[in-house]
Amino acid sequence: MKIIKPKGPEVFDIELEKDLLAKNRSLAKKNRKRFDRSNILTIDIMGSIGSGKTSLIKAILRRLGMGQKVAVIAGDLTTTIDAERIEAEGARVIQVNTGKECHLDANLIRRAIDTMKLDDVKLLFIENVGNLICPGEFPLGAHKRLVVTSVTEGPYTIVKHPYIFREADVIVLNKTDLAKPMKVNIAQLERDAQQVNPGATFVKTNAVKGIGVQRVIDALGLKT
Amino acid sequence: MHEFSISNEIVRNVLDTAKKNNGKKVLSVQLEIGELALLNVEQVTFWIHELFKGTVAEGAKVKVKTIKARIRCESCGYKGGMDLDQKDPFRHFIPYACPKCSSFQIKVEKGRECTLRRIQAVR
Repeated sequence: MKIIKPKGPEVFDIELEKDLLAKNRSLAKKNRKRFDRSNILTIDIMGSIGSGKTSLIKAILRRLGMGQKVAVIAGDLTTTIDAERIEAEGARVIQVNTGKECHLDANLIRRAIDTMKLDDVKLLFIENVGNLICPGEFPLGAHKRLVVTSVTEGPYTIVKHPYIFREADVIVLNKTDLAKPMKVNIAQLERDAQQVNPGATFVKTNAVKGIGVQRVIDALGLKT
Repeated sequence: MHEFSISNEIVRNVLDTAKKNNGKKVLSVQLEIGELALLNVEQVTFWIHELFKGTVAEGAKVKVKTIKARIRCESCGYKGGMDLDQKDPFRHFIPYACPKCSSFQIKVEKGRECTLRRIQAVR
């Protein structure tokens, strides 16, 4: 039999099933298994730039007084400012610099925990990059996710970024002492949070002064 | 903002696959992006075209198929799609609620994917 073959280049199709976001989700699951095996409760702290993520972590650490039994992975673009601030509270800190990236991902967390000594660590905070958009799409494997927003961001932050607030177990409204000068209605922000994510616990804080921090600790189920 | 990193990952996968299959030139790639994924399709295709430049995939067509959302309402039991304005590029930012009972207690079953589905290349 004569077979006539096409001349010239052969065009071919390759079928794939590569979900790029699923890859992060499966890595996050692996991280979670690792945390479970080592009995480490892990909390992902997300929130806007300057909302008070680091201040809140510092205030929680001060209240818990667990020293080196707490570890913190501090995510930032290029600096170590936040890591140094947290280190002053006596916790173990590792800095993850994302370079140009706007969020941490499960792979970066995997690499961070590979290099960390987690022997007697009981609690791990992951401070995400300041951003209310991207981190919502990239779970890291943490047991709980907390989002910090502050009244200085104005009255519409929660309704404008429902996606990330939907992902949260705890929603913290920080800098409540500045609500009056900012002309922000705290009750309205609380209603917004309730509407977007009725399952989340809403806590008002002034992290710098330590007000409301115990309620955050309770909402996360941590023991002091 | 993470459109760039996702695009980068897509391009890396396309070039890897082409290489493994002795592809000399990539003609087209097909993506499937969920309408609730936090991705702006226009930005993704822009970056893919940019990142393809100088590679075997330069000039390849980028086709994007939108995957419709499918949700399950935990309040009223509704199962099905959502009423999203396809012309609104920021529709994934809409606080999504059940189209039947407006509850926010919904689980997304479909519509958050970003899948590289098919590559057409020349050997």
